[in-house]
Amino acid sequence: MTYLMITGRTVNQGVTVENKTSPEYAEETSTCHMHEFDMLELGLDDRDAILVTGPCGAVVMRAVASREVEMGTVFVPYGPYANHIIDAGTHSTGMPDFKSHEVEIEPTDDEPKTVHKLMEDLGGLAYDR
Amino acid sequence: MIVKDVVCPFCGCLCDDIEVEVEGDRVVSVCNACELGTTKLMGEKRMKGPILRDGDGWREITYDEAIRYAADMLLSAERPLLYGWSGTHGEAQCVGVHMAELVRGVIDNTSSVCHGPSILAIQEVGHPGCTLGVVKNRADLVIYWGSNPIDAHPRHLSRYTYYADGFFLENAFRDRKVIVVDIRKTETANIADEFVQIKPGGDYAVLSALRALVRGKGETIPRTVSGVTREQLIRVADLCKGAKFGAVYFGLGLTMTPGKYKNIRNAIELVSELSRHTKFTISAMRGHYNVYGSNEVNTWMTGYPFGIDYSRGIAFYNPGETTAVDILARKECDAALIVGSDPAAHFPRRCLDHLADIPVVQLDPYPNATTAFCNVQIPVAVTGIDAEGTAYRMDGVPIRTRKVLSTDYPSDEEILSRMYALMQEERER
Repeated sequence: MTYLMITGRTVNQGVTVENKTSPEYAEETSTCHMHEFDMLELGLDDRDAILVTGPCGAVVMRAVASREVEMGTVFVPYGPYANHIIDAGTHSTGMPDFKSHEVEIEPTDDEPKTVHKLMEDLGGLAYDR
Repeated sequence: MIVKDVVCPFCGCLCDDIEVEVEGDRVVSVCNACELGTTKLMGEKRMKGPILRDGDGWREITYDEAIRYAADMLLSAERPLLYGWSGTHGEAQCVGVHMAELVRGVIDNTSSVCHGPSILAIQEVGHPGCTLGVVKNRADLVIYWGSNPIDAHPRHLSRYTYYADGFFLENAFRDRKVIVVDIRKTETANIADEFVQIKPGGDYAVLSALRALVRGKGETIPRTVSGVTREQLIRVADLCKGAKFGAVYFGLGLTMTPGKYKNIRNAIELVSELSRHTKFTISAMRGHYNVYGSNEVNTWMTGYPFGIDYSRGIAFYNPGETTAVDILARKECDAALIVGSDPAAHFPRRCLDHLADIPVVQLDPYPNATTAFCNVQIPVAVTGIDAEGTAYRMDGVPIRTRKVLSTDYPSDEEILSRMYALMQEERER
């Protein structure tokens, strides 16, 4: 199924933003807020793992029911998980399309990676694991 | 020891009424701040000293070695990128600009991925803004468009708008109306007097419809515009025209969506239209506590607010070409100095692929996502906690942040100045 993914600020993202290698930051920024009917269609319960595929890759997140989003739209707090699948094109403005990406979502048995693992997969080296 | 009137170094509100209790070199309690500010002021898990990536491991190095490494890296690069700057004080930002000019690098700040499009719009049609104090004391209508202050700027509502007393309002809480425009029914939408829920990507059309209504061209409006009914649009336009003083605060819901800076341009032109009927003002909800300062410092030193390229020996500015995301995605820079930001957490993946291939030095008190891509990370004092310096509030008011405790960490300005001095020496040889 195809959804519009928007990203944005949350209090918990802000609280953990200076501690980005913590499990709390990983949990917050890997949470995909979905309409409960969309979750029903995909057979998902709260905190079930989902594979979110965007224009430049896929990443595992966890689905959580939210009353804030409409059907067909999902919301993910700013962070390395959403950015793992966001395209770097800026239409000559300097600003990527952080709030207008179409993504495919399907249930998965995989677990979301840690922030360290995400960075290491891209060629980084974790420091404070 | 209790320290009063502390300035919170988290978001663009720069709240200056915080009280903190300090014991030794730690903040043990915080009063008046929101959850975001409290957590930052009490922050722990700082890095102890500079680190150097050594193959598949890390080793500790001295500040002298780290500064020398960074200076050599920038001097030997052909097209260095100096990025970040919004999480540090203005004095450090000044040194950054001098360094960029010396090495003919590109200096960009985090506004290119937050309110950069707003600045592009302001360059086209101007900025009819005002300070937060004016809004607090006069505004009887506040519109939050594509912004969710309860999550992103938690005290904006209580210090300046919905819950704040106003000098020229008899009963501010009753008299002040709040309209929220968003595609999500956010926490802020829940407390609004009027919530306008638009379909994703529909901001430009809704702004245009409101402009038409304010101009008296209501007959041109279809039954719905991007999911908003004609009746609601008329109600909102009437609320705006009937206000004595209206203030629009817009967030990344306008800058990151399709249309980008054209959305902001349309919003500014709506405000200009409304000012023919009453007094109206518009301002951006700036994120980092000193992102406004990075625009100010860059503008007064180079003529441009972000994305400045010194490769020609003079300042050159072309957003989309000279901005950090584009430069990294095109694999153009051959070294990066990151100060007061975390691009690995906030940039698209393609940018990180390139960060992994080039030498990177970061100045940051904490290990973050970018640490994984660093060759060297230099921990610094946190501005507003153990370093002082000037920051600009979201309305452009400069506020001197205070040092509430003493530690051995050097400030960003100190590290950058030492780096710059080494670079000057080398260039003069």
